[in-house]
Amino acid sequence: MKRGLIERLDALNVEIIKMGALCEKAIEGTTKALFDGDDTYIKRCRIMEEDIDKCEYDIESMCMSLILRHQPVASDLRIITSALKMISDMERIGDQCADISSMIRYTKEHDMRDYQHLETMSKAAIKMVNHAVESYVRKDMGLARSVVEMDDIVDRQFDEAKKNLINLIAREPDNGEFWIDVIMIAKYYERIADHAVNIAEWVQYSITGEHK
Amino acid sequence: MTKRIFKNTMLIVVLVVILCGVFILGVVYDYYNKELSEGMMSEAKYISKGVEAEGIDYLENLGKTDARVTWVDVDGTVLFDNQADITTMDNHKDREEIKEALTSSAGSSTRYSNTISAKTIYHAVRLSDGTVIRLAHIQASVLRIVLGVLHPMVVIIVFALVLSAFLTARLTRQIIEPLESIDLEHPEEAKVYDEMSPFIRKIIKQNEQIKEAMEEQKSQRKEFELITENMQEGFIVVDKEARILSYNSSVLKLFDMDMDVSGKNVLTLNRTEEFSQGIIDALKGSHNEQILQVGDRFYSIYINPVITEEKVAGAIIIVTDVTETEEREKLRREFTANVSHELKTPLTSISGTAEIIKNGIVATEDIPKFAGNIYSEAQRLVSLVEDIIKLSQLDEEKNIPSKEPVDLYHMSLEVAEQLRKVAVKKNVTIEVEGKSTVVDGVRPVITEMIYNLCDNAVKYNKETGSVIIKVGENQNGKIVSVKDNGIGIPKDQQDRIFERFYRVDKSHSKEIGGTGLGLSIVKHGAKLHNATIDMDSELGKGTQISVKFPC
Repeated sequence: MKRGLIERLDALNVEIIKMGALCEKAIEGTTKALFDGDDTYIKRCRIMEEDIDKCEYDIESMCMSLILRHQPVASDLRIITSALKMISDMERIGDQCADISSMIRYTKEHDMRDYQHLETMSKAAIKMVNHAVESYVRKDMGLARSVVEMDDIVDRQFDEAKKNLINLIAREPDNGEFWIDVIMIAKYYERIADHAVNIAEWVQYSITGEHK
Repeated sequence: MTKRIFKNTMLIVVLVVILCGVFILGVVYDYYNKELSEGMMSEAKYISKGVEAEGIDYLENLGKTDARVTWVDVDGTVLFDNQADITTMDNHKDREEIKEALTSSAGSSTRYSNTISAKTIYHAVRLSDGTVIRLAHIQASVLRIVLGVLHPMVVIIVFALVLSAFLTARLTRQIIEPLESIDLEHPEEAKVYDEMSPFIRKIIKQNEQIKEAMEEQKSQRKEFELITENMQEGFIVVDKEARILSYNSSVLKLFDMDMDVSGKNVLTLNRTEEFSQGIIDALKGSHNEQILQVGDRFYSIYINPVITEEKVAGAIIIVTDVTETEEREKLRREFTANVSHELKTPLTSISGTAEIIKNGIVATEDIPKFAGNIYSEAQRLVSLVEDIIKLSQLDEEKNIPSKEPVDLYHMSLEVAEQLRKVAVKKNVTIEVEGKSTVVDGVRPVITEMIYNLCDNAVKYNKETGSVIIKVGENQNGKIVSVKDNGIGIPKDQQDRIFERFYRVDKSHSKEIGGTGLGLSIVKHGAKLHNATIDMDSELGKGTQISVKFPC
């Protein structure tokens, strides 16, 4: 019975790593497509989002059956509960990537690289998702903490982007709709960064048993 | 085991005591019965004699006796009984023992007497007058005897149990203790009884065999570890669940890990879809290889299934860092693309012009102009091919003349003289500063280097610009620097200008001329002399490139 539990926890771990890898791929692909103005990516991103949703569903039922069949305690239970929380954050990252990619059709006329803040934010968000998943894979407290710290950069960049865009709207009011798209994309990145922070916090919880 | 020995001994003791008791009881009972009937017989005879002599008086004065004495008449009427009232007693003629005595002078029987309700032994004797004296003795039943001996027997059993418990405990201790005292690592030191020595000998022998096998395993393992540890390539063995069984330290280096990953899933190292798909394929039994990008490095990954007894038992993964090969491959591709482009442009021009002349469209007086065109394009091709040859020589470091002392200052003056004509045409001044400085180098290569630097400085200069060649030395080495106040190089392209065919301004390349290989030759020439190149350039203000030869 005990042996079964350990094997199932291993399998759960692998599935979470795979789901994390999918999220990384989604945000990297989305960002690249956004800055390259590649709107054929929208379809691929939809498929990826469905994959991520399926992952969430599978992992959820794995967790449920683990709880029901093995009545895990202590760290085993912690691993499972943190997994349940993490996958919902990962699923949100997948959704937001799909949201960003669906905006590419409105932004592809413009060179998105002109918006320095957006580029910085996207890079930071990718790095945060990377580090969050990596910290899960390595069970690395330091890495998980660094994700939480990085969130400040993204938040600051978002504020700057907002101020910057107010000026731009004032200067080019005809382009108003586009500016709103830009600020929405920025907001999506900001949300993705928040989800990465959540994941990192759950990683810390699964290691120490303390959740902030 | 101790418990079982104990239990069995106890059982045996109880059984033995009970069986003995039953057997003895049987023997004793038989003997007692025999004694009793013999005694009764003689007593009956004795009483009969008395009765014959004294009649009923004898019986009445018989006094106390254990037995019941009955005198029965010939017709069976009871004449006397010392224990029962004769008036209530019925005719005794039918009684077995009396019938027997009447016919054959004596008789006996055993039966359950209704009168006194107990098992009774009867003995009858016929007197001379034909009457019968009968003695009856109530026999104690077996149960009574058993009840009688039960008490001493329980005492004996308890005593026997205590004694055997003590003895068994001692015995089992004697058996078990030596067994327990055997140290399996050093069985020869154990003090055991003789019966166990073959067992000990066997253990010793097996210990030796195990030790040998382990040594062999250890040395094999060490060998394997030595081989894998000294491999540059990462080496991973995974089981059929994709868990890492063994790996070498290169793996941790390649995947930038700082923890022990054995027992963990292989996805811990890399979680890209390609890699995990590769592992899944290998665990299904198919070999595969892939190029994996990790950060900014490229790894070539070979995944081989391990097949035992026609089943996949796991996989072996070999990781090689192919970043350099990959980059070189990329450069080569770019170079090929560039060189074909650079070669094609003048050739197209030559063949176009030649075609026009061939078709006789060109007026005779125009032919020299067209021919001049063909000539200059051909010249460009020649210089391009020459540059490529020079570069490939520098690349291969073959066919390079031997080193000799070269005076940088003198050489700079020569180069300045060569370029004077072009410079004057562009209204650019060339000056050489410094003093005679000798380095050990390959003359044509150094000439080429200084020429290319100065040529660029003149070419990419403004009207009324200036080029200053400085030759000097300090404690670090001998320096030639070429400074201009021309158009400068943008910051983000400064490290690319040494690449083959790279041009900052692609649109003007034809107007300015050149092959795009000049700085590349400078770079390779510097490499040949272990010299370093420093560049200081600002867009619109000018460029200074210095080559520093080591002392």
